[in-house]
Amino acid sequence: MSERNRRRLVFAALAVSLPLVLLAALSLGSVALPAASVVRSGLARLGAFGPSPLPEMGEVILWSVRLPRVLIAALVGGGLAVVGAALQSLFRNPLADAGLLGVGPGAALGAVLAVNLGWAQQRFLAMPLAACAGALLALLLIYAIAHAGGRPTLSGLLLTGLAVSALAAAGTSVLLVAVEEFRVRTVLFWLAGGLEGRGYEHLALAAAFVLPGTLVLLLLARPLDVLSLGEEEATALSLPVHGVRILVFGLCALVAGPVTAVAGAVPFVGLVAPHALRALVGPLGRHLLPASFLAGAVLVVVADLAARSFGQYVELPLGSVTAFVGAPYFLLALRGQEGRG
Amino acid sequence: MGSLVLSLLLAAPAAPPAGPPLRVASLNLTADELLVEMLPADRLVAVTRWADDASMSNVAGRVPAAAVRLPRADLERIIALRPDLVVVSEYTDADFLRLVEKSGLRYHRMSGLDTFPGIRAAVVDLGRAVGTPDAAARLTARFDAVLAELGRRLEGSPRPRVLYWGDPHTAGAGTAIGSLVEAAGATNVGREMGLRGIVPLAGEKAFSAEPDAFLVTEGSGASVALRRHPLLSRTRAVREGRVVEMPNRLLVALSDRAADAAWWLASRLHPARVPHAAPPPTLP
Repeated sequence: MSERNRRRLVFAALAVSLPLVLLAALSLGSVALPAASVVRSGLARLGAFGPSPLPEMGEVILWSVRLPRVLIAALVGGGLAVVGAALQSLFRNPLADAGLLGVGPGAALGAVLAVNLGWAQQRFLAMPLAACAGALLALLLIYAIAHAGGRPTLSGLLLTGLAVSALAAAGTSVLLVAVEEFRVRTVLFWLAGGLEGRGYEHLALAAAFVLPGTLVLLLLARPLDVLSLGEEEATALSLPVHGVRILVFGLCALVAGPVTAVAGAVPFVGLVAPHALRALVGPLGRHLLPASFLAGAVLVVVADLAARSFGQYVELPLGSVTAFVGAPYFLLALRGQEGRG
Repeated sequence: MGSLVLSLLLAAPAAPPAGPPLRVASLNLTADELLVEMLPADRLVAVTRWADDASMSNVAGRVPAAAVRLPRADLERIIALRPDLVVVSEYTDADFLRLVEKSGLRYHRMSGLDTFPGIRAAVVDLGRAVGTPDAAARLTARFDAVLAELGRRLEGSPRPRVLYWGDPHTAGAGTAIGSLVEAAGATNVGREMGLRGIVPLAGEKAFSAEPDAFLVTEGSGASVALRRHPLLSRTRAVREGRVVEMPNRLLVALSDRAADAAWWLASRLHPARVPHAAPPPTLP
């Protein structure tokens, strides 16, 4: 099969898979809703095909609880996968992902602070907003410190991110030790990743950053391809290397920060989806980035469905489910890379 | 698509029914205990899975069989039960509560359970919320009577200094455990040290506080940990065996049973004044 046909097949498979897994995720859960009824309920909302066949209780579950959750899962997965793909091009390393940015620990610090101060229990959206603020503050801090001594190198940016992450993690540990035991559960659930209790407002918060951020990253596909050739080659092709790097780094953090704020830590999605797709659709950004978005969305919607389906007494943490899939994949990919090296 | 988004955003939850709730779902153990006492069996549609656990619950074995045992706060399952009131705790996330509201469910949030007057007020509030104020009054009358009798018996008695030890957490001011210790005729060392909330306490500080007795949860391993602790094992309280192991169902009781918990603790700290572990049955 030619590369072009294979790529078309992959895109077709992803384009078909995403609505199918969305429908499955809307149908399955603590209360099963027949898929056909879910579709007809959606059509009824659009004013077509008569009234919804779902009982009132099913309508409430579908539209108030399940739909926002499933859409957030898709946004989280898509956003993280695009960020992973962009960072892999930026760092010229197929094992890079959003964990390198340092915004995750910043978001965690904000979230734990909100719980510690009791805001999470008293104020609607306090925890995701505090987490979002923590992520963005971490980003600003990384930028400011990295630029304090002039224009930073890529490794300087990374090491600054690591240092800021370590600081934020230390702050999180201090707050975690001091948090009241009844509130520990809230923190742990957030840190482990999950979408329970998320509604349309959380969806709006994630969408406000993920959709424009992803769109701009897609538009930067070509400069990313040039960057992935190496700094000298990119400079020779008249690419403003430093500016593009900072822009991509900032965009990735702007997408990953709010995603982490809404869903907690959801590891490995940004690594697995683009890494697996690179072999199928090729390394070019204009193919890899949109394919990664679709694959990431499919992956997290399925992972969230598994998270809420398998745990009887507690919902499985979404981050654990993605890690169960991602960590073995990561190890296999690492071995493969070492084998080639 | 635009109309779909618009209809979603504008969708208003169903109006709550007028009158007392007829289908009440509880999402916390304290509410489980109170609602079992307050409501006719057919009006309690769900309790937590902890309600049947004798190590944690004061109503184990008395929960109506028809009430669904919720393994977790699964909103979809709660909606499917069609409750007209959901009772949540002070620690329930504001984001979860917003989703409960948006699903058209009414909720009652219990709060102020870190003091005995707060617990009493919460019982009255819950009784009002579920439409059974008389049942709540019956519970608070007994609550008041038990505490009054306990106060009478402990009048003039020296107050031992008690440190709750959760290895390494302790209870400072503003905690239910601290209030329990004080209600049982003792001084809460955590509050005395200026601590607030359930907070970790360094072994050296606990050692230098030299409490008269330690309070630990029965079966938690905290008692063994105390005896093995390099410093705390050398306190007078541990050396002389003054480590009170309290059953968990009493230590975490934030319902009307908190008065029984105070009585139980007083019986261990003041055995001459309070010889029995339970209040006399002659009390209302």
